[in-house]
Amino acid sequence: MDQLMARSMKAYQSKFARVIQDTLALLFPIMLLGSFAEVLKYSFLTPSGFVATVFGVTKWLPAARQISQLLGLIVHCTVDMIALYGAYGITYCTVKAYGRQTSAMSGAIGLLAFLMAAYQPHSHGRLLFNSTLMGQGLLIALIIGYIVGRIIVAFEKRRALRSYQIIWPLLLVVVFSIVVNVVVSLTRSPEVQSFISSTALHAVQASALSYVIGMGLLTDLLSWMAVGGPFSASPTFTDPAALTNLNHALKTGSAFNAPFKYTDVTLFHSFANFGGNGAVLAMIIAILVFSKRQRFLTVSKWSIFPALFNNNYAMMLGIPIVYNPIFLIPFLLAPLVNMLVAASFLALKWIPAAVYPVPSGTPGPLIGFLGTNGNWLALILGAVLIFVDVLIYMPFVKLYDRLDRNRGEQ
Amino acid sequence: MKRTVKIWLWSLLAVLLSVGLIIASLQWSHQNVSELTRHHNSQLSPVIMIPGSSATENRFDGLVSEINHNRTNPHSLLKVKITNDDKLHFTGRLRPGDNEPFIVVGFQNNKDGYSNIKQQARQFNVIFHTLVSRLNFNNFKAIGHSNGGLIYTVFLENYFDQYSNDVRMTKLMTIGSPFNFNERSIDNKTQMLSDFIKNRNKLPNNLSVYSVAGTKNYTSDGLVPLVSVAAGRYVFQGAVRHFTTITVSGSNAQHSDLPENKQIVDLINRYILHSTRVPRARQNEPRLH
Repeated sequence: MDQLMARSMKAYQSKFARVIQDTLALLFPIMLLGSFAEVLKYSFLTPSGFVATVFGVTKWLPAARQISQLLGLIVHCTVDMIALYGAYGITYCTVKAYGRQTSAMSGAIGLLAFLMAAYQPHSHGRLLFNSTLMGQGLLIALIIGYIVGRIIVAFEKRRALRSYQIIWPLLLVVVFSIVVNVVVSLTRSPEVQSFISSTALHAVQASALSYVIGMGLLTDLLSWMAVGGPFSASPTFTDPAALTNLNHALKTGSAFNAPFKYTDVTLFHSFANFGGNGAVLAMIIAILVFSKRQRFLTVSKWSIFPALFNNNYAMMLGIPIVYNPIFLIPFLLAPLVNMLVAASFLALKWIPAAVYPVPSGTPGPLIGFLGTNGNWLALILGAVLIFVDVLIYMPFVKLYDRLDRNRGEQ
Repeated sequence: MKRTVKIWLWSLLAVLLSVGLIIASLQWSHQNVSELTRHHNSQLSPVIMIPGSSATENRFDGLVSEINHNRTNPHSLLKVKITNDDKLHFTGRLRPGDNEPFIVVGFQNNKDGYSNIKQQARQFNVIFHTLVSRLNFNNFKAIGHSNGGLIYTVFLENYFDQYSNDVRMTKLMTIGSPFNFNERSIDNKTQMLSDFIKNRNKLPNNLSVYSVAGTKNYTSDGLVPLVSVAAGRYVFQGAVRHFTTITVSGSNAQHSDLPENKQIVDLINRYILHSTRVPRARQNEPRLH
């Protein structure tokens, strides 16, 4: 642990890490607002959402649809465009860290570069941007913004940069963005997409257990990199395996002996996704109990509400978990342990598989409970697993606490 | 020390909230699953029949026994009569395992005329509501003889959209239904036909309609002009998925004989009914293996 401490201390204090952290801190309030709006919209005010279904919110709340539309406005401009703010922030922070003078101009250029990369050239003159890139392309935005920032700094070092002298780096940035745009549109071509989606068909095969665990971990890893993974954020219950399971359960009147025991719903969504990818709900509890740093406590308190409904965006950027090597280990370890334990319970037929559809935005620990139509052991297992996850997160939370304190003192 | 107390207080609150949430959602879950199960297991697809004016709920007895002739799996026959005070009177019973029972509807007020038809359509809605909630079917087939077809049209255009999420009418057969009453020319549209055409966009667009006309001579079936039956195309054609017109002739092709007409029995077997016929094996007939 001490070795890890020393090594991460060094990485933590590097300029580059500083730039990333400052950028993510900039995004946190925007993302927090977005995640509140998203939870309220999709779980509370959409008729198919969890709270709306269980408490009939849309039936008695006047103007529920209008409020939901307004919340949609917030969601679209925050969560769905987060990469935009990321591109602005990282360019600004890069120039601030590496350059001699900070200029608001650099942030604008980073924004320009990302917008140029995300613009869709075949949109017949309308302003159409690549929505996948805007919502899930934070990694790409950070790379673009960082490179743009370094270009600006490189030119700055030759002579003191005035705004009319920024034309040459600007030109370079424009050429660079066009290249990125072409590369991005190539990866969006149908051939590449069909290759990607064809890998998702193996869920119903015999080796499903290792497949589900592998894909679950990949989803968590990609979410740590702020990229969307193969498993959706909430269970959809529309894939063939889930439908077969449901039909079997309805026919026999029991969720035991489901034909497909190990699916993304029965393992990943039911037991490994409390509070969103990486069992972040457990991390919040671990911080609230063990951490002494005011910053982490504040972020965690704000993140409780969205995390209850499996929305972890605020935590990802606020702590931050994204690109944070220390938290990568528990972020993957906790879901892995959960999936393995749940799989052995399923294999021993101690709990039935979660086959009945649950509304979107159902709190993580309740998915397994409601998906089995109220199997108490499934609920208890979920609670125990959260406790185990808190223990898994505990040493890392303490380590990060120490790291943050040391830096604060220096 | 203060922090520990705070943590305990918050944990207590969290536990209380979770218990409430668990109870509420569990209740929803049980309800949801039992509903799913009921829907999944209900393969019931009844044939609901409405007779014409002046007829009772016994109008189709002959037709049903004709269809059930020589079947080991006969369709059961349930009859519902509605009196003027909207009270329902059931006779007959459903055979267990029968997925395609006949349900015949009768009205105490079975008079002719547009205002009576509207009244009967409203009463049919009362019956239909009860049938759906009691039998829990999610699709059904409809047969309307004479004014029965008109009652169905009023029902579809004015009442059916409240069920559109849960129940689907897959097929409708109208037999000698006078969509333009006794008018011999389509240029004189009755109030009823005008209303039908005005509201035709409310007809379900996944419905197949068969309009059967009888004949006594070249222009009428003895009571209803052929032109009036054919006026149904102004209502259904283009508004529903399929609209087929069929004219039968020969013996038993007069208006009131139509339900016993062999060809129409054949058409019902072919177009409306789904369950396969299991014929009764004759005695002394050698079985081939």
